[in-house]
Amino acid sequence: MSTISPKERVLNLFQKKEVDRIPCFSGMGNVTEYALKKMGHRFADIHLDAKKMAEASASTYELFGFECAVLPFDLCIEAEALGCEINVYAHSEGILYPTIKKKLINSEQEMEITIPDDLKKKGRIPLLVEAIKIAKNRVGNEVAIGSYVLGPFTLAGQVMDLNELLKLSFKKPDKVSLLLDLLADAIIMVAEELIDAGLDYLTVREMGATSDVLSPRVFKNLIQKPLIKVISRITIPSVLHICGKTNQIVQFMIETGATAISVDQKNDLAESRKTLGKDALIFGNLDPYNILVQGTTEKVREAVRKCIDDGASAIWPGCDIWPTIPPENFHAMMEEIKNYKGGDRS
Amino acid sequence: MIDEEKKKEILEKLKRAVINYDEDGARDAAKEALEAGLDPAEAIFNGLVSGMEEVGRLFERQEYFVPELLMCADALYAGLDILKPHMKKLDLGIKGTVVIGTVEGDVHDIGKNIVKMMFDVAGFTVYDLGRDVPLDRFVEEQLRTDADLVCLSAMMTTTMVGMKKVIDEIKKRNPKAKIMIGGAPVSHDIAEKWGADGYAKDASNALKEAINMISALKKLKEDAEAKAVSE
Repeated sequence: MSTISPKERVLNLFQKKEVDRIPCFSGMGNVTEYALKKMGHRFADIHLDAKKMAEASASTYELFGFECAVLPFDLCIEAEALGCEINVYAHSEGILYPTIKKKLINSEQEMEITIPDDLKKKGRIPLLVEAIKIAKNRVGNEVAIGSYVLGPFTLAGQVMDLNELLKLSFKKPDKVSLLLDLLADAIIMVAEELIDAGLDYLTVREMGATSDVLSPRVFKNLIQKPLIKVISRITIPSVLHICGKTNQIVQFMIETGATAISVDQKNDLAESRKTLGKDALIFGNLDPYNILVQGTTEKVREAVRKCIDDGASAIWPGCDIWPTIPPENFHAMMEEIKNYKGGDRS
Repeated sequence: MIDEEKKKEILEKLKRAVINYDEDGARDAAKEALEAGLDPAEAIFNGLVSGMEEVGRLFERQEYFVPELLMCADALYAGLDILKPHMKKLDLGIKGTVVIGTVEGDVHDIGKNIVKMMFDVAGFTVYDLGRDVPLDRFVEEQLRTDADLVCLSAMMTTTMVGMKKVIDEIKKRNPKAKIMIGGAPVSHDIAEKWGADGYAKDASNALKEAINMISALKKLKEDAEAKAVSE
């Protein structure tokens, strides 16, 4: 019977201290439809109300014992603060994540943007800060409170047309490099504000730079430097998350200085463990849809065991927990981690 | 009549321009093709599309990534814009009209644009609804244009589920229309379960599928021509 709290377990892991077992948490959004129904909130509501956002973030711990509370749930916070218009699909009954409706940069000539000094007061950043505080009051003694920022390249894809960005990263890397540096400053401002609100860890989501899209060479030459800039300013444990193909860039990811890296099911985790050695913190890599949503409970258990056997330092879903995950699959995931001894490294 | 040597040279230029994402080169080679009296359809299929086939292989081997793919597509379009007005429409026994878009909630359109490109190449009339398209719009546009084919794209699992509604609604209103779905979360099983007529998994897969489709069309055309000659 374990006596330490999920919070201690996660914080110990980040400090590379001994843990009684592998924790199961995430750095990305993890609200469930099951919880939304219980709370009586629509998905669209939890992005715009600090109380509801906080309540939703605590729900996976309270209902399933997931070992964190993470907020917000969408990827538009920084872009909105910088001046983009977002769509939360208020009319939608189902689950549609907010997207950018109007971009900030509409041509190559507009790429030299000015970051407002009072960025932390813009958009939903004050709302998010308030929500973090509410969540911390509610469950902060029991679980680690996490949030995330986008990586500079992924944010660039939010504030300007992604197709243009991708082409320019090839044709005019200097221009893109300059934009990424400016965006890194913006991300640092946001990160500092969120950390001040009382976070325990912060994830940097740079999924736009996956090797499904960009070559490892471009990652090294263009993406890594601004990522290092951001991560070097994060004063609490940090996790660099990139989904899709990442085996060829895990070394570059670790070099950014992040406390841990997070990869998804397209990464061969056993191979990454071999590449990075036994001390690196690697989180992953459950398939959030095909396994956690579509799979049977036995498939979920199998996948959890495989992650542990492959050498995951913590069980993380490869992306957000999809809200439509069946509750029995969530329970199966949590149970298997507690029961399966292959993951016990103590 | 254009001599074989010259023809080969121009086709090679078109192909190279696409592979080397050289828009100016593609434009120049396309003009040269027209001036030399090369059949525009042949210039498109055996020049530009051949180049794109090679790009597909480079992409698969991870020598090319998405930025290169996008730039190659730009080069293909640069040549296509010049050649297409001179190309006779293929008679395939269908109207050759397609409605295409990324479903609501999803703003990713790279895969969609690649599939669209291949329809453009094949001489289809393409109604591109763009990205983040409300589901009803697909149904309305299919009815308005009487399109043979509707292509739905989604990169995210959450938005993919919207495709089922569109498929059901279109099949109900116009059972003749064919529906193709694509995007990272889409699988063969899902396509089958939802009653889609075809599917493509991701950008490289879409490119391959689309090239297969174009090759099939090209063969149909060649067969039709061979038949015409023998009669």
